[in-house]
Amino acid sequence: MNEELYWMFIDVANGLLSGSMLGGYYAVIAIGLALNFGVMRLVNLAHGDWLILAAYLAVAFLSMANVSPFWTLALVIPVMYVIGYLIQRLLLNRVSVQAAERKGMSPSFGLMSPLLVTFGMSIVIGQGLLAIFDSNAAAIRNDLSFAAIRLGEDLSISTLRLIFFGIALVMLAVVQTFLNTTHMGRAIRAASDDPEIAALMGMSSNKVYAVASGISLATAGVAGVMIGMSRSFQPFDGPTFLLIAFGVVILGGLGSMVGALVGGVILGIVQVLAGTYFGPSAQLVSGYILILLVLALRPQGLFSR
Amino acid sequence: MTPASAPLLRIAGLSAYYGELRAIYDIALEIGEGDILAVIGANGAGKSTLLKSVVGLMNRGQAAHIRGRIEFGGKRLDVLTTEQIVDAGVTLVPEGRRLFPRMTVEDNLRAGAFLPRLRAGADRRLAEVFELFPKLRDRRTQVVAQMSGGEQQMVAIGRALMSSPKLILFDELSLGLAPAVVDDIYRKVADIHARGVTCVIIEQDMKRALEVANHVCVMLEGALVLEGRPGELSEDAITAAYFGSER
Repeated sequence: MNEELYWMFIDVANGLLSGSMLGGYYAVIAIGLALNFGVMRLVNLAHGDWLILAAYLAVAFLSMANVSPFWTLALVIPVMYVIGYLIQRLLLNRVSVQAAERKGMSPSFGLMSPLLVTFGMSIVIGQGLLAIFDSNAAAIRNDLSFAAIRLGEDLSISTLRLIFFGIALVMLAVVQTFLNTTHMGRAIRAASDDPEIAALMGMSSNKVYAVASGISLATAGVAGVMIGMSRSFQPFDGPTFLLIAFGVVILGGLGSMVGALVGGVILGIVQVLAGTYFGPSAQLVSGYILILLVLALRPQGLFSR
Repeated sequence: MTPASAPLLRIAGLSAYYGELRAIYDIALEIGEGDILAVIGANGAGKSTLLKSVVGLMNRGQAAHIRGRIEFGGKRLDVLTTEQIVDAGVTLVPEGRRLFPRMTVEDNLRAGAFLPRLRAGADRRLAEVFELFPKLRDRRTQVVAQMSGGEQQMVAIGRALMSSPKLILFDELSLGLAPAVVDDIYRKVADIHARGVTCVIIEQDMKRALEVANHVCVMLEGALVLEGRPGELSEDAITAAYFGSER
């Protein structure tokens, strides 16, 4: 085979493989945001900060118990669920569109106020993390960081990314199955379509939203542990991941977990290929250019009908 | 008019407001157990608002609220949330059906059995709904947005039945449906009524309302202007009340 052609093939194959693996990780980062918006029409500007908080939670847990980093999920997932449930119950339900209407304010105020509240929350979380930990970079130590599985002489994938991809598939399937087949899942879909009629079914939107928000932060917990295991992080890194999550949601749409995976994989592949051909700095930029293009040409998302 | 037995639903001094605007005025009404009450009146007469008030959908703080007293089987409904009212055995089939459009027929129906007390018997009631509407059994996996208006109305009625209500309020039962479909829907309502469910129906078609109901009331500009048994009220009197002209 022509050598030039061979290397081109390797580059593309590597881009598709690593990009897809990266996409699973991106999907996990994004589904909490997609759930929040899809169910409660809430744009959660603090989403990235919750991810970082979960990563710090795992660090704190590991400093107390000497176990495999994956065990931190057993603590992080329930703790994040409870935080999500309470934040929605005690705070966000009071600033929703329905809450604004009850107080005689215009619905547009109801759309605006959660933005302000979650923006404020983002600042509080960042500063809180800075106060408790410090501004030095933290990381979740693990022995998989540099491990790779060789698929050929010049082709390999990161073991950690492969594991993350597997976790992503399992998690997306679990969340989708929950939404499709359980009473609460059905209630979440109902309340997102029509809260008034959901009430006629005996569903309390406030409770249903709290559960959805709990699930959203539980998935953010998984994402936070993944972030901590794959790179170092600091208290104010949240917005970087918020942007990734927005990108995935814009590409894949809010419809389904499959959409999040597809959005994540597209973003991942484009970033890895751009990095291969135009250098590491092109990785981030290419992602944003792709998002801008989609917003300009297909603002309804790539897959919405 | 007082029903023979103690009334199932008793409404007294009911007014309902959207913001500052009063939509219905000082309504007093009693509905006996096993009645079919037809509420007739022109557009904007307050019929829908009356039904929404009963199921708590007018309790929305500054946006909408009610004054007055609503009792169901001796229990105050006007202080409860919609969820609690449905739990007490009252439900509404809303105008325009308002199904969950992206869900399947079966998911829409099962959504009606969300309350904890209903979950154990949900399969049995689903079978009953399919018995009443056999067409829905064949279409149980179809997404409702793709169905015809008549089929959607069947799903909306079935969904309400899943909460095993003692009282069902039907808002604009036949609006926008073909005459043959309306005939079919009314036969189903008669079946539901025969199973011991008390019904309140808002119907534009006065003739049809008078055929099916054993209790009629006419609303005009937010007030209840005429009430009685269909046989006791002359068609002229009802028409006069409907249009607000002098008798």
